[in-house]
Amino acid sequence: MKGKYFIEVYSNKLKYEMTIQRNITVIRGNSATGKTQLVNMIRDYNTFGADSGIVLNCDRNCVVVEGVEWKKRILELTDAIIFIDEGNGFVRTDEFARLINHNSNYFVLVTREKLSALPYSVKEIYGFRESNKYGGIRQVFNEAYPLFHELSVTEQASHSIIVTEDSNSGWDFFNMVAGNNQMSCISAKGKSNVLNTVIKLDKNTNTVLAVVDGSAFGSEMDDVVEYIRYHKTIALYAPESFEWMILKSGIVAVPDAILSHTCDYVDSCEHLSWERFFTQQLISVTQNTIYHYSKHKLNPAYLSQRNIDRILSVMKSLF
Amino acid sequence: MLHIYYGEMEGVINNTEVYFRNTYDPSWIVDGLAKEIILDVDRSVVLGERCIQSRVLGMIPPESLSGGTKTLLLMINDDTRIFNASTCGDNCAKWILKIAEKKDLTIRLGHIMDFGEGMFQIHVLNNDQIVTSMADLVIVAHNCLQETVV
Repeated sequence: MKGKYFIEVYSNKLKYEMTIQRNITVIRGNSATGKTQLVNMIRDYNTFGADSGIVLNCDRNCVVVEGVEWKKRILELTDAIIFIDEGNGFVRTDEFARLINHNSNYFVLVTREKLSALPYSVKEIYGFRESNKYGGIRQVFNEAYPLFHELSVTEQASHSIIVTEDSNSGWDFFNMVAGNNQMSCISAKGKSNVLNTVIKLDKNTNTVLAVVDGSAFGSEMDDVVEYIRYHKTIALYAPESFEWMILKSGIVAVPDAILSHTCDYVDSCEHLSWERFFTQQLISVTQNTIYHYSKHKLNPAYLSQRNIDRILSVMKSLF
Repeated sequence: MLHIYYGEMEGVINNTEVYFRNTYDPSWIVDGLAKEIILDVDRSVVLGERCIQSRVLGMIPPESLSGGTKTLLLMINDDTRIFNASTCGDNCAKWILKIAEKKDLTIRLGHIMDFGEGMFQIHVLNNDQIVTSMADLVIVAHNCLQETVV
């Protein structure tokens, strides 16, 4: 499934609106903010339709999946938006992670669990809060809001070390940038190693800038943000991916719509995350050109000072 | 004392909503601590064993309380099981510490819950370590969760 879907659900007491645009969305946050109420309302609508007294507007079928028959139910569904409430332990299993891969459905998971096997975006982690957006309506309006942004800084400090998630082309680039700025660059060799790498460096009172692929870093984000909250010497930059940064920089020509309306191009059956889509796009548009891209080793054509500046300009004020 | 196991654990009640619905006793709701929790977390006032005034939902039964509050009530009243505290938001954390002031409480967590800026005593069962601040617990919990990924 591709695309962005607006969901409106309301009863006489509660109203919800949210937009789902990737294959995995996570809802979490404080207790009693209405997360389970939303799932309950969708379940009632699934069971009784309009007779439930619930109004649900969405261009796709919204379905609640739960309990021991979860796998069978997911396999029966196509091109639906599937809601799974907390308390369903199967979301933590490898079996669920495999099922989500190349699946035509979008999944909305109400969970605080660290789901390391699922590559979800830092931008698609939401909480709910009451909003006065529709002042005067009789219902309480619960608005979805993103819990994380791509840049987490506690102070505008200069950094002595850059930590990259990968050890391939992204590291090649930031290692060059670090050298040009009297800094060091270290690879964490994987998203699940980023925080441990930062912790080891932090012990030696380095100021660290961690650069990660935001489109798949969601499961690690909570841990990192909690660490930043109590150890204020690191900053985190989580753009979609390094390949996205290159596409955004203008070095290679790519249709604007692919970057501004990515959801209309990424098919959940083909790409488990936008990170993989952007990599495929960059390889495709640069094939047989001087900028041909390989994830394993960065083409030196990207390391001219002009191109470094263009890629860094995507990171705004960090350098 | 609060004892936490991070990661997968045998015998834990994961779906505290369902377990609460089928096991709670109405008398739990009118206990002093329960009333404080319901007022703070759910912003609702207990009127009786089976009646709570919710600012949003009107008059509700205990079954309509938030998942986090239900889990807290289970922690207070049911010593026979270990509960999945990842059904609780950070706004429940101070109440978990408060419950553990009065008895030994063991919970399971699948994420890093924020216990706030104060000092505390938490026994992390994974490595038998006592941790006294979030600055330290973040690191310990992260390492435990890394090791116990399913």
